[in-house]
Amino acid sequence: MSNNITVIDRAGSPSQVEWEPEQTLMEALRDNDFPLLASCGGTASCATCHVYLEPQVVSGLGERSEDEIELLEEAEGFDAETSRLSCQVAHAQSLDGITVTLAPEE
Amino acid sequence: MSTPIVVVGAGHAGVHTASRLVELGYRGELILIDEEDGLPYERPPLSKDVLAGAESHEPPALRKQDYYEDKGIRRIAGSAVTAVDRSAREICLADGSTIPYHRLILATGSRARTLDVPGAALPGVQVLKTRADGRNLKAMLRPGVRFVIVGAGYIGMEVAAAAVKSGCSATVLEYQDRSMSRVTSEDVSRYFEDLHVAEGVQFAFGSSLERIEGSDRVEGVVTSDGETIPADVVVVGIGVLPNQELAEAAGLDCSDGIVVDEHARTSDPEIYAVGDVTRFTCPREGVSMRLECVQNAMAQADSAARHILGLDAAVAEVPWFWTVQHGVRLQTAGVRSSEDHVVRRGDPADGKFAVLYLRDGRLAALDTINALGDFAAGKKLIAAGARLDPVLAADRAVKLATTRTDDLAISR
Repeated sequence: MSNNITVIDRAGSPSQVEWEPEQTLMEALRDNDFPLLASCGGTASCATCHVYLEPQVVSGLGERSEDEIELLEEAEGFDAETSRLSCQVAHAQSLDGITVTLAPEE
Repeated sequence: MSTPIVVVGAGHAGVHTASRLVELGYRGELILIDEEDGLPYERPPLSKDVLAGAESHEPPALRKQDYYEDKGIRRIAGSAVTAVDRSAREICLADGSTIPYHRLILATGSRARTLDVPGAALPGVQVLKTRADGRNLKAMLRPGVRFVIVGAGYIGMEVAAAAVKSGCSATVLEYQDRSMSRVTSEDVSRYFEDLHVAEGVQFAFGSSLERIEGSDRVEGVVTSDGETIPADVVVVGIGVLPNQELAEAAGLDCSDGIVVDEHARTSDPEIYAVGDVTRFTCPREGVSMRLECVQNAMAQADSAARHILGLDAAVAEVPWFWTVQHGVRLQTAGVRSSEDHVVRRGDPADGKFAVLYLRDGRLAALDTINALGDFAAGKKLIAAGARLDPVLAADRAVKLATTRTDDLAISR
């Protein structure tokens, strides 16, 4: 089943988006026309799909990979509690209804 | 109904151009023509996850099936464009039909360069560029199969890694004296060669291929040293050629690539070209180049879409490239030159290091090996044209961004 999520763009405006089960969060954002460069295609090689999730959502997702942490720490607006690379967040039913905020562009 | 914008080619560059047009507000007719059948797909995984992975046999789609319909992008798949008629402003398809265009974007990409030696057409000789090539090669990766790989560039090295991982033998022939010599420096080449040798790959440097032997299919190769190496499969990874024939026949300026300006516009103001097929002048270094990478494909797609819609140009990301071999990731940002001052940052023995390329004191390019923090920081420093203290920058304990010597001058 699809998730319904709220996405807050870089201007601060919220919109409702459907996140389909076969997509990563990055793919859902990209396919709904949010301006994510996502230039590595989802391999945790760049930080152009950086988003903020609520702290309790981040802690529920488990450990970030070493690569993801290294990339995030150098990203603009990194926040230890809320930053994630959206390409590394897989669809899960438990993520229905979450709010995703786009990080500033690099 | 307005005359459509037509995109020819559905790799990263073509698909991204169509996507950007829609994202940036274009609501007219939009047609994406794909020579291949099926959904447009990602190419980098073909030589990486798809080949080396146990499970996945197909590269991921660039966009899901519904995307194109939802966005009003009409997709024509399995159809080749045979000509561009600039005076009639239309393109011709292989079935004889024509499609008029208001603006045309050529995203025809590149093709694998093939060997011009006796035996090159024998079954078992394989390049790796398309989904079909990937399927063919994947089917050959069975234990005991003997691979000879011509060319120690990214593709050759990735294929060699996948081959030994699958229980095949792999010998890499390279006419230069080291691997990946076009894209990286000696430290990095040697590091990766050691890695490959430890996994069972054999190298023959300074060696090229004279001929391929076999009656019905490949049985062996004869090298320039006169050596015969038995082989069941020969993979040719010796670079690519731009698919510029359509543009050339239509009279557009071409010079080992379709020549485009900073807006991705060709010599015809109604025709744009994007991605691997283009040649352009690098705004940072002022040199003419072709760049075979996803970053360039996406940046030019964005430039073309913006220019067509009359929007301001965006600042392009620094070019970057990556390869994964035996699970080790090499990422390169910027384009190095053999004259750059090379600074090694960290020790290869740690399995985590970077190599910096300084040009006139500023960071022009860098390679990172399992050091993504340095990659992300370095990419920004390159974009800023930052000057680095080479002694400080060599110390991995010091954050790369703090080794700038021009910080105050820039920020004040």
